[in-house]
Amino acid sequence: MAVVLIVAEIKNGEVRKPTLELLAQAGRLGLEAHALLAGAGVSTLADTLAGHGAAKVYVSDDPSLKTPFPGQITQLADTAAGKSSATMVWFSPSEVSRAAAPALAARKGGSYASGLNSLQADGAGWTGTRQAMATKVVQKIKLSGPFQVMVFSSGAFEAGGAPKAAQTETLPPPPVNPQLSLKEVAVEEQKGEVDLGEARVIVTVGRGAKDPDGVAFVKKLADALGAGYGSTRAVVDSGWRPHSSQVGQTGRSVAPEIYLAVGVSGAIQHLAGMSGSKKIVAVNKDPEAPIFSVADYGVVGDLFKVLPVWLEELGRLKK
Amino acid sequence: MKILVPVKQVMDVELNVRVAAGKVVEDGMTLVLSKWDENALEAAVQLKEAGTASEVVVVTVGPESAGETLRKAMAMGADRAVHVLDPAADGSDSLGVARVLAALGAKEKPDLILAGLQAQDTDMGGVGPMTAELMGIPCLSNVTKIEGTGPTLTIHRRGDQGREVIAVTLPALITANDSLNQPRLASLKGIMMAKKKPMDTLTLENLGAAGVAGAAHALTQIAEFQPPAARAAGRKFTGEPEVIAKEVFDLLVKEAKLVG
Repeated sequence: MAVVLIVAEIKNGEVRKPTLELLAQAGRLGLEAHALLAGAGVSTLADTLAGHGAAKVYVSDDPSLKTPFPGQITQLADTAAGKSSATMVWFSPSEVSRAAAPALAARKGGSYASGLNSLQADGAGWTGTRQAMATKVVQKIKLSGPFQVMVFSSGAFEAGGAPKAAQTETLPPPPVNPQLSLKEVAVEEQKGEVDLGEARVIVTVGRGAKDPDGVAFVKKLADALGAGYGSTRAVVDSGWRPHSSQVGQTGRSVAPEIYLAVGVSGAIQHLAGMSGSKKIVAVNKDPEAPIFSVADYGVVGDLFKVLPVWLEELGRLKK
Repeated sequence: MKILVPVKQVMDVELNVRVAAGKVVEDGMTLVLSKWDENALEAAVQLKEAGTASEVVVVTVGPESAGETLRKAMAMGADRAVHVLDPAADGSDSLGVARVLAALGAKEKPDLILAGLQAQDTDMGGVGPMTAELMGIPCLSNVTKIEGTGPTLTIHRRGDQGREVIAVTLPALITANDSLNQPRLASLKGIMMAKKKPMDTLTLENLGAAGVAGAAHALTQIAEFQPPAARAAGRKFTGEPEVIAKEVFDLLVKEAKLVG
């Protein structure tokens, strides 16, 4: 049975859902899934990975991996892939995998694709689909050769399983490149905010909110809905919201059940990061705003007049 | 400090993209410098203007038409250009392009390579990190700020836990986020000067990179293009804001289960 090594993504002491999706999908494709679990204080998560389908878990648990450099993950994935005789390595989309995954493909002379949202066996290789040109086209892409590295978009597959005892092997932490030194990790995520990657509903604020007070006002809608609170690049660049909240190609790609774009004009880089959302709602004063081209419900109107009505209605429903 | 900026000429994705017979319809599309490459180039030119960089070299692996992109990059401030122009490179995958760039890197020996986060046509993001890996230098992706004068730079990058501040001793490769800067428009003077700046045209053989790139060596190949799944046409509501707000709210609760 062909082996795929899945690089687990850990956040706040938990295995993130995209990793569980990949473990489940490996089983559906008849592959033996192995997992790489790298981080600081992560060993206990091996059982979660095993329960979702990892036949073996390679664990590297060390303080030096708290905020790993991509090169460390490339090294560990290379080592684990060698030990498990994996012919494929799968990553979920993250800032680490952006650099670690292509580097692994280069090191192994393998084929590489990012942003995959489907995969099927195709002769000796694999064929997947992915979006390109700011999601304006779908590419059918073939990966061949003896080694493949793939990054999938989140939500590509269904997850399933429950923890069980894992078979593990410990890997020593890889050395840090002496050219690099981590000075600071500025954790910008606001306490109590819903993770954009897991949210059922996301409210995103754009430049239409005008100023920090407007941004705080739109947040009331996110809070009332228990929704994630995203922002556009313009809002982030103005310093009104943290980088971690940016939805779009250079920030987070999201695909919630309901996406409410409030005062968002809809630059293509933004649309490409959210157009996979099931239902899209847009509130914008400008009837020509590009966001309306993807909106299922387009409200042409001033957000400062529309949102108070919604907040009042939500308050009434809660009573 | 010498900076190498790899750039790509792409179809303008701001335009309406059409697909026919498994291919993107080129008719009616214009070719532009990929957006994030502009950010990388702007950062390089700013480092030169600050006196940190001594030379900015721009490079592309692409067809004849990509020469226009190199002229544009020189109009924005790059000092000279290298055009890897070789039919043998056609159909390269990300790794093929990275091998060509690494071969050029071995020749040019830049202290810093500044690349775009990804190309706007493929949105793949492979070439930068692959080039760094092949050259044995560290790669810092999705960078939003560059400080310092070398040989150590302080960079800010998007991390999974927040903004990471990293000191990096050169040589290194950085990929640019669009928050890094606002790329300048080429001035008339810049455009005139660019016409006189040197542009070398090289083949794979010139670089000692024959037989490492091109369709024959591409393990990753695009089989076909398809149009994206069509979204059902949406409804647009206009009128008194308070009235349409109530109307849409009721629809969202009923049809989209807004309150889950």
